[in-house]
Amino acid sequence: MSDTASSAPKPITSRFDPRFEPTLYAHVGVPGSHTLSYYRSHGGYEAASKALGLEPKAVVDEVKASGLRGRGGAGFPTGVKWSFMPPVDGRQRFIVCNADESEPGSFKDRYLLEDDPHQLIEGMLIAGWAIQATIGVVYVRGEYYHAYGRLAAAIDEARAAGILGRGVLGSEFDFDLILHRGAGAYICGEETALMNSFEGLRANPRLKPPFPAQAGVYGLPSTINNVESFCAAVHIVARGAAWHAAMGTDDSKGMKLYQVSGPVARPGVYEVPMGATFRELIMELAGGPSEPAKAIIPGGSSTPLLPWSDATLDLPMDYGTMAKHRSMLGTGGVIVIPERKCIVDAYYNVVRFYAHESCGKCTPCREGSATWLPKMYQKLLAGQGTHEDLALMEDMVKHMRGTAFCPLADACAMPVQASFEHFRHEYEHLVDQGESLYPRRREWAA
Amino acid sequence: MKVTVNGTVLELDPGTSAIDAVFAAGFDVPYFCSQPYMSPIGACRMCLARIGAPRKERDGSWILDESSGEPKVFYFPAMMATCTTAIMEGMVIDTLSKDVKDAQNAMVEFTLINHPLDCPVCDKGGACELQDRAYEYGTGRSRFVFDKRHQEKHHPLSALITLDRERCIHCKRCVRYFEEVPGDEVLDFIERGGHTYIGTLEDGLPSNFTGNITDICPVGALLDATSRFRGRNWEYDHTFTTSLDDASGSAIVVDARTGRIERIKSGLNPEVNKSWIDDGIRFGHEYADDPERLKRPLLRRGEGFEEVSWEEAAAFVAERLAGFSGKDVGVAIRADATLEEGVAARALAQHVGTGQLDHAPRHGPSLVPLHGATVLDVATADALLVLGDVTEELPALDLRIKDALKGVSPPELFAHGVPIADLRLKERMPRASERLAVVAPYRVDLMKYAGAAVQVPVAGEAAWLQAMAAVAHAQPADEAVLGMPRAEAESLVRAWREAQKPIMIVGGFVLASEAATEAAASLAKAVGFRQVLVPPMANGVGLEITQVLPSHARYDYQGMLGGSAKALVLSNLNPAVDPAVAERLRSCELLVVHDLFLTETARLAHVVLPGTSGYEKDGTMVSLEGRFLPVRAAPVDAGEARDLTGVVKALGEAFGQRLEGRSVRSARRVLRKELGFDPTELHRLGLLRELPRRRAIVSLNVRETVVGDSLRVPSLARPEYLGRNAHLRAALGGPALRLHPEDAAARGLRTGDEVVVPVDGVPRRLEVRVSDAVPRGVSLVPATPEAPAGPAAVALDDLVHERRALEVA
Repeated sequence: MSDTASSAPKPITSRFDPRFEPTLYAHVGVPGSHTLSYYRSHGGYEAASKALGLEPKAVVDEVKASGLRGRGGAGFPTGVKWSFMPPVDGRQRFIVCNADESEPGSFKDRYLLEDDPHQLIEGMLIAGWAIQATIGVVYVRGEYYHAYGRLAAAIDEARAAGILGRGVLGSEFDFDLILHRGAGAYICGEETALMNSFEGLRANPRLKPPFPAQAGVYGLPSTINNVESFCAAVHIVARGAAWHAAMGTDDSKGMKLYQVSGPVARPGVYEVPMGATFRELIMELAGGPSEPAKAIIPGGSSTPLLPWSDATLDLPMDYGTMAKHRSMLGTGGVIVIPERKCIVDAYYNVVRFYAHESCGKCTPCREGSATWLPKMYQKLLAGQGTHEDLALMEDMVKHMRGTAFCPLADACAMPVQASFEHFRHEYEHLVDQGESLYPRRREWAA
Repeated sequence: MKVTVNGTVLELDPGTSAIDAVFAAGFDVPYFCSQPYMSPIGACRMCLARIGAPRKERDGSWILDESSGEPKVFYFPAMMATCTTAIMEGMVIDTLSKDVKDAQNAMVEFTLINHPLDCPVCDKGGACELQDRAYEYGTGRSRFVFDKRHQEKHHPLSALITLDRERCIHCKRCVRYFEEVPGDEVLDFIERGGHTYIGTLEDGLPSNFTGNITDICPVGALLDATSRFRGRNWEYDHTFTTSLDDASGSAIVVDARTGRIERIKSGLNPEVNKSWIDDGIRFGHEYADDPERLKRPLLRRGEGFEEVSWEEAAAFVAERLAGFSGKDVGVAIRADATLEEGVAARALAQHVGTGQLDHAPRHGPSLVPLHGATVLDVATADALLVLGDVTEELPALDLRIKDALKGVSPPELFAHGVPIADLRLKERMPRASERLAVVAPYRVDLMKYAGAAVQVPVAGEAAWLQAMAAVAHAQPADEAVLGMPRAEAESLVRAWREAQKPIMIVGGFVLASEAATEAAASLAKAVGFRQVLVPPMANGVGLEITQVLPSHARYDYQGMLGGSAKALVLSNLNPAVDPAVAERLRSCELLVVHDLFLTETARLAHVVLPGTSGYEKDGTMVSLEGRFLPVRAAPVDAGEARDLTGVVKALGEAFGQRLEGRSVRSARRVLRKELGFDPTELHRLGLLRELPRRRAIVSLNVRETVVGDSLRVPSLARPEYLGRNAHLRAALGGPALRLHPEDAAARGLRTGDEVVVPVDGVPRRLEVRVSDAVPRGVSLVPATPEAPAGPAAVALDDLVHERRALEVA
């Protein structure tokens, strides 16, 4: 690759690049797109047939070469994860789809599940072939009832059409899907808690190692990926790794579904190549903020916010750049925070979410995220905070970070830390004046 | 592997956890969730440390530090829980830096924000891990200004265990314990986040091993209901002794205060019970403090008794004994007497010149198998055949069988003892059920773990064992008797033969029959099993090898009761529960009873001597594996009660003779000569010895009345004392008559009914329990020391309904 790098065309990093063409969301919103006949008529299951004609290892290598990184938030290279599976030894192997999309600010998987369920089924079939797993598990968020219905219908259709079951698509390979509905717990988005929940156990994260590839569902070799990752794999197999790698920046390849929420003209999900800027997403695609904004949360509520500025808007949205600015790309769930919203209030809301969702397994999260921190916010917002309280909160979140069993406490602590870093004056104003710099507006009053 | 802990370099085996490395290096790190013998889970986050390790280049060479030329240490970005981190070559662990201290302070503060500071009234105060760690690793101040979490403070998880939900710090030890150790998943977390608490389903804690959670709870959340609010930890006298409740030789700690036993905790014996004991041992001590305990000797005066001094009582007995020809005197002691008491009984028999000496209950065949196995062998066995209901008969063995199914060998001990975090243990480990075969006449608890489970007819063990032996010798066998297709039996035999360490555990149902015992021995020989024989009471093996045995079969215990003895000295035995025996004893010319209570037999006695419980005597016992273990007296007030050596001392003085066994010391002088070592010097963990096999004595011990189609079954709660163990009785119910639902329905019996029913002609007051674990047509009644496990005739037709259970709407 290196010898062609100099002559290689500039990578695609904008939706407005003429070479870019939406794939993941190409059919979302089209009436009838969830049916097998529609999917088939638009090239559906051709990638799966192609993959079944390749060696499993060739599929893994293709995905590796494409540079696809996990779209669930952590950004772990998907192909590398697939290659962690132990050699086939006769034990049952599982491919698991994490469709428990619960991060506040994230809603990309929902429309994939609702409007293009066959894309996911095809992706899982390809992944199942690649890692030689004959059972796929789709763990759908409990609240996604419509998506569950669509997916269940799609699985039935696929079974009837011989796409799932014995000898899929006329090959020798057996593959079937188990659809499992969650019961509305955020912690089930953590891969090992999801597996516990699927097995009927309490949804606590498990100790790693062993990682799922060694001991996953029922202690058997398993690989777990996000919905979007599976869907991306379909197009990587269909169009080739080079097509995928042509998009994005050095460390982040391919297309990505970004979600914009908050006071913007056109909130929603946008499929954009990796490395597009916030400006392109927020100002051009989403139509810009409808009122003055002061901060951007780049990837769902657990990612540290970035102050609203021209410099921030010009940052490319990729894994490396976000890390460099001490934030994370997460799920790409961009939330715009308006000027008039009190940051303390906003982060109380975030903290309340994590407090409610903490599983209670480990001390810093159960006592910090779930108990103490929300109480501190309540005290502040009641106008009874002191400067010592602010120092205490900063100290507390410092000790919640990196000490907990799973990333949930980090997901609570990191954004709070960032809010202190960038908006300390709002906290201090609340302490000094006893009321918020931006008092709550009665938005629904006449 | 080379590991550096705070600058101290040490060499440890791969697989060691970082927390054990820290302790092995002589440093301390706080922890709440880790617990020896259980899986580490990293929940409390107290044991955080800064950990680094060198990395390798792709070519396998170490990445070197440019300045020093040594392998460069890369620290993990976040602090790691040492309990869940395995050591790596060259790992550097730091537990002393300011970052680590800050994190420890923070975790203590987090842990304490919802923990009530009611230490002054908490039973755990002074022995609380959280209290200690808060002093050692906390800042001494809390910045938490809000209300603490309020939850139930007196929640009875069962009649035996009370939970204070406010004190719980969610370490999950108790929840994990039930899943990992006894395998009874009866406790779990409910709710989540800050609202998490532990709870059960409606029927309490149905497990034989619930009390251990009170030992492992790091705080005062789970407390033993028998001792709750009865003393502070520093007021207790701790006596490290051995349980005489069964033959396992389980280590226990008896906590006494102001002359009273308040609680029993599990001791630690890695080769026997690890740190677990069953509820029968833990909670079965209340009888020792019963107000009806005999405190002074009693002498018959007409119809009643008069309290007398030991001298008076002894003088009376000595004078009367002198009137008998030696061989008319019988001496019998219960099989949980110590070796020293056995020597005393022997000395007494010798002095009066009788061969009528025995211990009871006792089986005919020897309890020392030809090829014996130890408890540790059971824990590491790769094939197990269990004959009987071990979970009730010898619960300690049940737990070691489950260890064997996990396939994790017992851990190597460190200088600091049992590994704090054994990384080989995991939550929800698969159990290799194919290693276990269970054969019993009803559905026993272990069968749910067994790859092969066979329910034989009552007294059908001998036939099954013979059929199995026939399979082993490639001879024809009846599939109906085998309880499985021949092919399956053959593959079972093959698996036993191929196993490295096949072990057969022989319970009371088999030992009750000589034919079955012989069949078990020949099957063992045919496939290479080593045997573990389960004695009917604690020191059966010990009293056998010290020859507390009759000179002739007709002089055994049953013979004495049947009329061969005109004068009887009985220690802790109560044969008069049987009206027929009581009738015979009434005509006994001299009856001396040494017991704790005024039993049916004691009421018939001429002299009653107050005896000591198993917690009140010094001595030695021999467990089923041949381990000599010390029994120590707890400092409790037992009035003038004495053990049998005390009885012999008083009698000797009255005889004007210095009898051997007149004191524990004197008995030990004898034992030292016979055993070749001094029992005084026994270590707490005991001494494992090769045992001599007894010459065969045919026993009439099990009375040859009608062998019925029902069963006397062993129970972990000693039935003779169950009525006086209030808490245990409340949890387990009274002595049970267990029936199949159809049999119960046919007679209009329901669970909870109180009935009186003749068992082998002895009327017994029992509580009906309907259970589908019982085969149709069979009734199960508890075995007693007088009538140990084995077939029985239960005359359901003569059943008298005493009280009916309440109708449940």
